[in-house]
Amino acid sequence: MARLIRTEKEVEGRYTEQWVVVEEDAAIDQWPAGPRETVGRPVPRVDGYERARGQALFTADVALPGMLHAAVLRSPYARARVRRLDLSRAREADWVLGAIGPDDCDALTLEPGFHGEPVAAVAVDSPGRAREALELIDVDWEELEPLLDPEEAVRRNELHEEPRRYERGDADAAFADADVVVEAEYRTQTVLHNPLETHQSVCRWEGDTLEVYISTQFIWGVRDDIAESLDLPPDRIRVICNFMGGGFGAKNGAHAQTFIAIALASQTGRPVRCALSRREENLATGNRNSTIQRLRAGARSDGTLVALEGEFVNAVGWKGWSGPTYGPMEMLYACENVRTLTYGAKLNLPPNAAFRAPGFVEGTFGLECLLDELAGRLELDPLELRARNHADRDLADDRPYSSKNLLECYRRAEPHWARRDAVRARSEGPWRRGVGLASQIWYGGGGPPSYAWVRIGSDGRATVITAMQDIGTGTRTAMAQIAAEELGLPLDRVRVSLGDSSRGPYASISAGSSTTPSMGPAVRAAAADAARQVIEIAAQRYHLEERLLTMQGGKVVSSDGGSWPLEEVTGLLEDAQILGKGARGPNPTGMRVLTFGIQVADVAVDVETGEVRVERIAAIHDVGRVINPLGAQSQVEGGIIQGVGHTLSEERLVDPASGIVLTQSLDAYKLPTIADVPEIVVELLDIPDEHLTNLGSKGLGEPPIVPTAAAIVNAIRDATGADVRSLPVSRDEMLRALREARERERAAAPA
Amino acid sequence: MQLLRPESVEAAAAALGNGSVALAGGTDLVPMLRDRLVSAETLVELKEVVPRGVEGTRIGAGTTLAELEVDPEIPAALREACALAASPQLRSMGTIGGNLLQATRCWYWRLDFPCFLHGGSRCHAREGAHREHAIFGNERCASAHPSDPAAALLALGARVRTSRRELGLEELYRLPTEDDRNVTALEPGELILELDVPRPEASVYLKAMDRARWAFPLVGVAAARFADGVRLALAGVAPIPWRLDSETDLDRATPLPGTAYKVELARPLIRRALHSVT
Repeated sequence: MARLIRTEKEVEGRYTEQWVVVEEDAAIDQWPAGPRETVGRPVPRVDGYERARGQALFTADVALPGMLHAAVLRSPYARARVRRLDLSRAREADWVLGAIGPDDCDALTLEPGFHGEPVAAVAVDSPGRAREALELIDVDWEELEPLLDPEEAVRRNELHEEPRRYERGDADAAFADADVVVEAEYRTQTVLHNPLETHQSVCRWEGDTLEVYISTQFIWGVRDDIAESLDLPPDRIRVICNFMGGGFGAKNGAHAQTFIAIALASQTGRPVRCALSRREENLATGNRNSTIQRLRAGARSDGTLVALEGEFVNAVGWKGWSGPTYGPMEMLYACENVRTLTYGAKLNLPPNAAFRAPGFVEGTFGLECLLDELAGRLELDPLELRARNHADRDLADDRPYSSKNLLECYRRAEPHWARRDAVRARSEGPWRRGVGLASQIWYGGGGPPSYAWVRIGSDGRATVITAMQDIGTGTRTAMAQIAAEELGLPLDRVRVSLGDSSRGPYASISAGSSTTPSMGPAVRAAAADAARQVIEIAAQRYHLEERLLTMQGGKVVSSDGGSWPLEEVTGLLEDAQILGKGARGPNPTGMRVLTFGIQVADVAVDVETGEVRVERIAAIHDVGRVINPLGAQSQVEGGIIQGVGHTLSEERLVDPASGIVLTQSLDAYKLPTIADVPEIVVELLDIPDEHLTNLGSKGLGEPPIVPTAAAIVNAIRDATGADVRSLPVSRDEMLRALREARERERAAAPA
Repeated sequence: MQLLRPESVEAAAAALGNGSVALAGGTDLVPMLRDRLVSAETLVELKEVVPRGVEGTRIGAGTTLAELEVDPEIPAALREACALAASPQLRSMGTIGGNLLQATRCWYWRLDFPCFLHGGSRCHAREGAHREHAIFGNERCASAHPSDPAAALLALGARVRTSRRELGLEELYRLPTEDDRNVTALEPGELILELDVPRPEASVYLKAMDRARWAFPLVGVAAARFADGVRLALAGVAPIPWRLDSETDLDRATPLPGTAYKVELARPLIRRALHSVT
């Protein structure tokens, strides 16, 4: 029966309480640990050929009859007031079919607060002329003084929310008693998501129903955003995203381009595409905001952490949210006395957006570098220091973990860590080599509500139906594996239908490393429900007891020896089908569901030119049961590559006077190339979380990027003695840190 | 926009100006057209009229960087500079003549700020974000010249034959002045046709960039040894490719606060380059 429960829901570290309906008539036991027939074995993407052949239809490929193309007039200033906006010349031009301003669409404004904020938009029938049409809009701008400095914003109390204060224990007393105290200021830069597919939507009215094709991480969130904003019944909105070219957290809602396309579709009566150019993408769709972190750690001489303190300034931008930069400091170690203070500065800069473990990537960089500086002062092995301060229980919430195998990750890291003498010994000439490590903590438990159906046809083939999205991470493949496993079917007899809110039940957001842990259990439950029905039918047809029957290898198998091909059983139905339904159950009550891990980086630094090469990264993560080791490895590699870019070369720059974004194109904004990618060694513990769902799986999208920057920077310190405290580690920062280290050495040398 | 395919250098030269722009590989021109930094009604394709290929010490201006980087007849500094420039796709389109004339990557100039180089009164980079910018010749305009091959050719003492004259590569470039904001001495309608590159006894090009591949030089150092001594030239340090006599010339650099590191970075690269050729 349907069960209504009140449960805690977490997405990327933000908790809310909500009612959800779960269906749990038959509790399903977890599979034993280890590889199964399909689950736990490496499987190439089920949609690999479609993608390689260019048959997979992305939002960028949607071309509807009569479709118009929108262009957006964006603020050229970081802060301005539009004294006059005149659309009449655009509206009079016969080749311009739609023109809208703030009166027509809430996503447009006459008081832009960042460079690139949308002010007006037009629609034409040729994509090549859309930008030309913008020249027909007459605007009288009044440029205003922007606020760009986060420290100044804190001084002026220009904040997104009240400063967040957290304290447990008595940090002051603990610092006073500590044998050693280290403190440092760390800075992280603003980085951009840069998914291959830019933000885009195609909107069409079909009678009183609105169809929205969109590159999104959350079909249902788009539906809700539109319903709420336009006061439409949600079921009159159909949201479609079959294939998606990446989001990394920046595509969790409808976003401005959707509302612009809807307004223009309403005005013109035609389908409208609004697709951002790469430059628009790098202006206005979100970023990982820069941070300033003033950190302090106190320890006893044996390495026991007694106090941690952090003041964090998140340079949030004009809109957005102040992320959990404090999270690792409060959660990673068994430290009784912790105090944090976090400001979310409101600036005339493009808004931030969730970006692959928001807050924790930045906060882990600061905390884990500080830990190594502490290890240096204490002359303790950095891995040993971390193991000594291992938290057996979550101190931030005072709860047990649903599962935690971080000490096993540390143990598995030892051989990689033990290579450091050999790595250092390979230093030659100006090239110094070293090894560094950093620990990882993040969420990733997923949760309800999430639903799936499994349909078995008379041909003995199964289709998983759910209105989730595969954002490129390979969850389509993982869902097929789970259903195939439960149904005892070869993988090629399972299809997955997803990506359409009117063709399947409600499904989870693909953010917060939640798709697999949220959707996987629902898919398994739906498959189990379908399998139960197949067995009931077979039992009646062949006059057997249900308890003797199982589904294996595409057959219904009786423990007393008989077996029948599945299609023989389902063939009885002719064109009818079996439909199984499944729901994601609640998360374990009173427990913290988290992911853990450690990365060990080998680097080489040219101490004369400041060139840094990351040569190898070993990543060991504890994310519960692994559904597809091949897909999982790909996620870890992607996270580390994005982490290498964050550490070494990526930085969004703005003009310090005007707030205009300078690095809009991909030659100025430097993503890593394949030549920058190190050897990556992936080890996943693959230990199911016995308290979490019928799978024991957690998410893996985000954990791999969390410790990368700190591991690299700690390796740089190991190699050179230089304390890098600011990202990216560009030549200027590396040469500065090397100079500072030389001066420190000189000052310390006996006269 | 229309495309013109003239059959002679004279016809090409005559067609230029008045809204007509020369098109070779297009790797810099096309993005600039798209960004409206250059406006053109007519593109004059040079493919049929500008020489391509290597003959002895002469290099046709239409030769691509990809062709040069694998040609054993080409001095090492130029081969290495070509190989370290851009990406394989860009190098197989971009020509050496076009590469010498490519525009700066200064983000203020690329975003069409009304800066000195665009004819305005001040350099926005000097007061603004300028970590990629110049340490020499930067008083009026702090842009950095992006060409790796230009520094290599300057060190090699290359000479340029245009549709009107022959000149040393050093004379091709000039710092922008109050009266003339161009960074080259080419006249309207003048086309680079050929380069003459003396054979050095040894040469090398070293490059520091923000990532392992596909980035413009923060500092590039070319060194070429001839019977009468070693010539040094740098990329990424001035609005034009920049000659230095020795490492000590770096003491005369005029870095901005954000480019001081480039002086520090140039020193070991110069030492290594000199060590490599001597």
